[in-house]
Amino acid sequence: MMDWIDDALAAHFDTALAPAGLVQRALRHARRRQVTLDRLIDRFHIEATARGVRRIGFGRRGRAKAEPGGAHAERARQELTEYLAGRRTFFSVPVDLDLPDFQSRVLAEASRIPFGDVTSYAAIAARIGHPRAARAVGNALGANPVPIIVPCHRVVRGDGTWGHYAFGPKLKTALLSLERSVPTLIGCTSTRIVCRRGCRHEQRIGEDRRVAFASVADARSVGYRPCQVCRPRDG
Amino acid sequence: MDEPDFTKLAEAYASRLYAVAYRLLGSRADAEDAVQRALTKCFAARADYSPRWAASTWLYRALTNVCIDELRRRRTAVTAQAEIAREAATEKPAGAPERVDLERALARVPREARLLLALRYVDGLSYGELARIRGISVNTVKSQLARGKSIVRATLGPGQRTRRRAAGDEERSSGRTGRTAGGTKEPRK
Repeated sequence: MMDWIDDALAAHFDTALAPAGLVQRALRHARRRQVTLDRLIDRFHIEATARGVRRIGFGRRGRAKAEPGGAHAERARQELTEYLAGRRTFFSVPVDLDLPDFQSRVLAEASRIPFGDVTSYAAIAARIGHPRAARAVGNALGANPVPIIVPCHRVVRGDGTWGHYAFGPKLKTALLSLERSVPTLIGCTSTRIVCRRGCRHEQRIGEDRRVAFASVADARSVGYRPCQVCRPRDG
Repeated sequence: MDEPDFTKLAEAYASRLYAVAYRLLGSRADAEDAVQRALTKCFAARADYSPRWAASTWLYRALTNVCIDELRRRRTAVTAQAEIAREAATEKPAGAPERVDLERALARVPREARLLLALRYVDGLSYGELARIRGISVNTVKSQLARGKSIVRATLGPGQRTRRRAAGDEERSSGRTGRTAGGTKEPRK
């Protein structure tokens, strides 16, 4: 049954004209060789103890050390590889950090920044109860022993510029733009289950069965249920 | 699907994809970026395109995945509303109050329902096709659309009343407010 709401919506949605040359620009962009981060994995060196990852370094040379924490190092390498290829949005490998209280609180706060999001040094300082300590937060993040796993690249300056990054501003830009193009919640259209990107069940979903969701509540509202393995949650 | 075919397809759908993205994201720059990202994704996957899919389903699925993820990043409804209001203020000339009202009403509709409304009204897609695009059941499509429309109706209700009054409808002048409030839900015709 058509009513005035239908007329109003039809008129409303009818008016946006695509800018000229949109398709050409998109195709030019699509043909351009995409910058891929996944080749960088060989440049990360990962140190781990029996309890978890202790340090991630970045440089020209380096291999994972097969120390007692070899299993954790191996898992961290696997998760990093998936992350850099845009197939993972969270890390489940444990970390083993022995840090001063202030730095641990800063890193714990930085770990809460969702994938694809950014926050400022000052906001972190305020959240840990030291609103004037933005610079100290910067120093604490600069000395982050496990970059990427603790996402210090998601912290930027209050004015919107990137600020410093231990692995260089290019990598910070590349990581942030990777995160901008990867959805975090993926539903499978045949099972109607929604997973976090990176869950082993999510990785088995075929390309033609993937739908992205903005929140678990959204997914539930249209008949999807959260995965019981990766347990996606909102907020 | 080879490159010329893909280009033809993209050209055919560009304005509809853009319209959906623009109405969902509320900004021309974001809409263009979303269409570009969706087309880039489809371009890369064009070899895997299977003709058992309608091309429109394939393109709209890619676009809605991008748009939904963009909406996720906008943390609060306030931000999105402020953006829509700003966009409305900069791009819409004065004298189009209904459009601004409708945008405000749509900003209150939950994301999934708003997405379905946009697809439904931009391209007149069937319930079945909407269900395939979002991987949901046809009944869910219907209930989401009905829910979205009822929120728009409820939000626009008071505005409609004022405009009708302003238009000088004598029967709705003072003294009959009770009837007027009930009358706002009636079809305009």
